[in-house]
Amino acid sequence: MLRYPRYIYTTKALYGDTGELIVEELLLNGKMTMSAVVKKVADRLTETVEDGKTMDYAEVSNTFVQLADTRFVQRCPMVHIPENSDTGPSPPAPSLVINEKDMYLVPKLSLIGKGKRRRSSDEDAAGEPKAKRPKRPMDSKEPIPDDGIYWQANLDRFHQHFRDQAIVSAVANRMDQTSSEIMRAMLRMSEVTTSSDAPFTQPLSSNEIFRSLPVGYNISKQVLDQYLTLLADDPLEFVGKSGDSGGGMYIINFCKALASLAIATLESVIQERFGSRCARIFRLVLQKKHLEQKQVEDFAMIPAKEAKDMLYKMLSENFISLQEIPKTPDHAPSRTFYLYTVNVLSAVRMLLHRCYKSVSNLIERRQFETKENKRLLEKSQRVEAIIASVQATGAEEAQLQEIEEMITAPERQQLETLKRNVNKLDASEIQVDETIFLLESYIESTTKRQ
Amino acid sequence: MAGNKGRGRAAYTFNIEAVGFSKGEKLPDGVLKPPPLFPDTDYKPVPLKTGESEDYMLALKQELRETMKRKPYFIEKVEEKPDIERYSKKYIQVYKEEWIPDWRRFPREVMPRKKCRKADPKSKSTKGTDRVSSLLNAADVLKKIEELEKRGDGEKSDEENEEKEGSKENKEGDNDSDDANAEQEDYDEEEEQEEENDYINSYFEDGDDFGADSDDNMDEATY
Repeated sequence: MLRYPRYIYTTKALYGDTGELIVEELLLNGKMTMSAVVKKVADRLTETVEDGKTMDYAEVSNTFVQLADTRFVQRCPMVHIPENSDTGPSPPAPSLVINEKDMYLVPKLSLIGKGKRRRSSDEDAAGEPKAKRPKRPMDSKEPIPDDGIYWQANLDRFHQHFRDQAIVSAVANRMDQTSSEIMRAMLRMSEVTTSSDAPFTQPLSSNEIFRSLPVGYNISKQVLDQYLTLLADDPLEFVGKSGDSGGGMYIINFCKALASLAIATLESVIQERFGSRCARIFRLVLQKKHLEQKQVEDFAMIPAKEAKDMLYKMLSENFISLQEIPKTPDHAPSRTFYLYTVNVLSAVRMLLHRCYKSVSNLIERRQFETKENKRLLEKSQRVEAIIASVQATGAEEAQLQEIEEMITAPERQQLETLKRNVNKLDASEIQVDETIFLLESYIESTTKRQ
Repeated sequence: MAGNKGRGRAAYTFNIEAVGFSKGEKLPDGVLKPPPLFPDTDYKPVPLKTGESEDYMLALKQELRETMKRKPYFIEKVEEKPDIERYSKKYIQVYKEEWIPDWRRFPREVMPRKKCRKADPKSKSTKGTDRVSSLLNAADVLKKIEELEKRGDGEKSDEENEEKEGSKENKEGDNDSDDANAEQEDYDEEEEQEEENDYINSYFEDGDDFGADSDDNMDEATY
């Protein structure tokens, strides 16, 4: 639930205010019928927009259909009513099934003027009423025609979108803007064709990519080819070349991409915690897989004492682990090799665990702060309410002044600091959640592969 | 190798150089107390990201938190009554929204049924309770008779009470899977029975020694 603001903000960036409100309503209510969503969103928009203009249902439903087409919202499983259900009593818990095809089918509702609805899926719609009633425009009350068809926000799709965003920004940081644009075009093309947990996308030929580049981005075909080869040869292995037909077939390797993102997170954590020398040692061990103490010193060009110190610090935090290789069957310590290695999966899991702990700490602290100052907060709320009501009934300056002075200056300061702290804690929660998302998707991709 | 452990001076069992210390070098001091709760770190954390999107998301988050509290899905824990009821409580009520869930999507048992009063004219429930109450009566009477025959006088009241409660619980257990209506009726019926049946209530007037008596008798009773 920490991620709700991020979902809503993404929809706002993609689909504007209408889309944002639709997704917000869906997230708050879990699942809703389409007409209920449309009505609520239209009401809310009407409030915020200037008086006199009312929001058109059609616009809201258009945005809804757009969201369904790009799969950001999906249908919930429906109550399954088998054919012979009339005889016996229905089972104690209804079984909810949904057909894959129907997930994104929007029932045809025309919400303005007379409408006759066509239900686009009939298989499990047995329990729904099929009454046809004409609809009167906007503000009037009307019975819910698409009863039983519930929609929910498709969180998977949002995750896919975040992942794509992360990859694109990583490419932009590593290379330049053009390559990130190419990356984005490739990702957009494979949005609907690849499922969200596939290890890599379908192969895309370079001709297709050329055609689907955004308009006004005139780079020649040759330049595009060069960029693609550059991407494919990059040691990060985001893009791989899988064939030569159609001017070169390229795939995006999600596994590797997520792995490098997670490793980058690990590296930056170590750098921030222990310093850049430690980060150098870490990257070294990561690259060479297994290293002895002496070799670490040599390769990293760091004096022995410091290297030792840093290695042990990292070992104690479980970023690095020791691998024993015995020379003799009795594992005598004097005759065993001890190699330092990085087990990425376990280090990532450990970091994720720490992220969770930090989020819970942040939440705890925020609640503690709010509870400590509850009295003050309530007082300020009451004063605001009084001010608002007095203003509504027409007040004079003197009265307002007096009411505002009910909160003394030190109290005001206290309120200010409180607000600042709470805001900071909140913002940190949101940002820790970004890291959590990255690490979680990496772990998910590795476990699925096996 | 193991035999050398006790004798000799500090001879390490492994090659000390492999670990990284050379002989005679100063090792770090031993740890004498638990590490401080908030140790000073050499490297301070990176400042938070700030920007328009972060600000917007922050505002969204705080709004969402407030709106969530008003939703009917946010079921709050029932708090115990505080010592004094404060006057200000009347003004700080949170208004929850109405919600009528779609019952077709939920299991049947989740749906709360109306609690019927005794005089409720619902035919189903009265039929059920009639059956139940008659069963209760019959079973109780039988059990009472059985016990009266078996036990002595001193234990009668104790065991009868226990049996009666036991049988009542059994009956309630059977009815659990059916309507909650019947349970409500059961409770009502039980109270009626206890009131009608002077037998049990008055028997305890026997005395202050009742507790002591029953303890003694219990030993003899269990076979």
